[in-house]
Amino acid sequence: MAADVIALAAIRCTETSAHLNSASHCGYPAPGYPSSFTYGPLFSVGSFTFNKPMLLAVICAAIVVAFFWAAFSRPKLVPRGAQNLGELGVLFVRDEILRPMMGKRGDGFLPFLVSLFFFIWVMNIMEIVPVAQFPANSEFAFPVALMVMVYGTYNFLGIRGQGFRGYFRNMVPSGVPAYILLILAPVEILQYIIIRPFTLAVRLFANMFAGHILLLVFTLATWYLASAGLGLLWSATSFVLTVVLTAFELLIQALQAYIFTILTAQYIGGALEPEH
Amino acid sequence: MANNSSNAGWTIFSYLISAMIFYGGLGWVIGHWTHIAVIFPIGMLVGIGIGVFGVIYRFGRQ
Repeated sequence: MAADVIALAAIRCTETSAHLNSASHCGYPAPGYPSSFTYGPLFSVGSFTFNKPMLLAVICAAIVVAFFWAAFSRPKLVPRGAQNLGELGVLFVRDEILRPMMGKRGDGFLPFLVSLFFFIWVMNIMEIVPVAQFPANSEFAFPVALMVMVYGTYNFLGIRGQGFRGYFRNMVPSGVPAYILLILAPVEILQYIIIRPFTLAVRLFANMFAGHILLLVFTLATWYLASAGLGLLWSATSFVLTVVLTAFELLIQALQAYIFTILTAQYIGGALEPEH
Repeated sequence: MANNSSNAGWTIFSYLISAMIFYGGLGWVIGHWTHIAVIFPIGMLVGIGIGVFGVIYRFGRQ
């Protein structure tokens, strides 16, 4: 009998039907991987399926392009409206990210860094936008794609600027005794080749992944605990936490976009001008 | 190169990790080879030590 009830409940239980003390005996629908991160195909062409995270990425790219198009397609000497906002964004990236990391000689990379920063930021903001409610960067492939772009750029620049051998020689510190070099050189080279790109991608991915789950836990709990009784108090607590954590995620989203861009600037700056 | 403290912070962070991974990996390979499992954790500890040493050596003098 009990097994029948559980089996029945498993069929009827969805995130929207689960309630504390409900007749269907549904448990709390805990969010997790892969259930909270898997989306069915919106449409498919052959073996290629197009799903919601991809759609969000395309929309975010379109938003960034449209915004900067509106801001700078017909620039005026005295900025108004969108141009004002756009200049604020570009100047922020230039003065807070590019100049401290690369100096004036890095100004050619301003378009790259601006688009990187705003694309990641808008992608992350999708986490708390109603209907979208999913940060595409919590699918590991998206940060990896961005990382590959950055990795390719700074390695190319480093090898072009310093030569292939010179690039690797500049990775290890110069003017140190040979036995110390023998110990530290593999660590340095491993850091440049593997650890840097890996941490760059994982940092963004893990933050958005954790943020999505964090918000889901309390949003689902608010719904699950809502009932006419004492449960309402717990539901209200969860709701307050949802609001607080949404504000917290708003901070994290901007922070992660900032960190990704500032590290990109640091790596490109390091490739242009080797450390000594 | 234009350096600031947060910049150095991230470098140190990845430096420590790469030291641990390199010498841990070396330890794992040797342990796998010689069938002495304990070499793997020893390699990791040595890696952490070398990572700390490297950070002090490179950044401590600035």
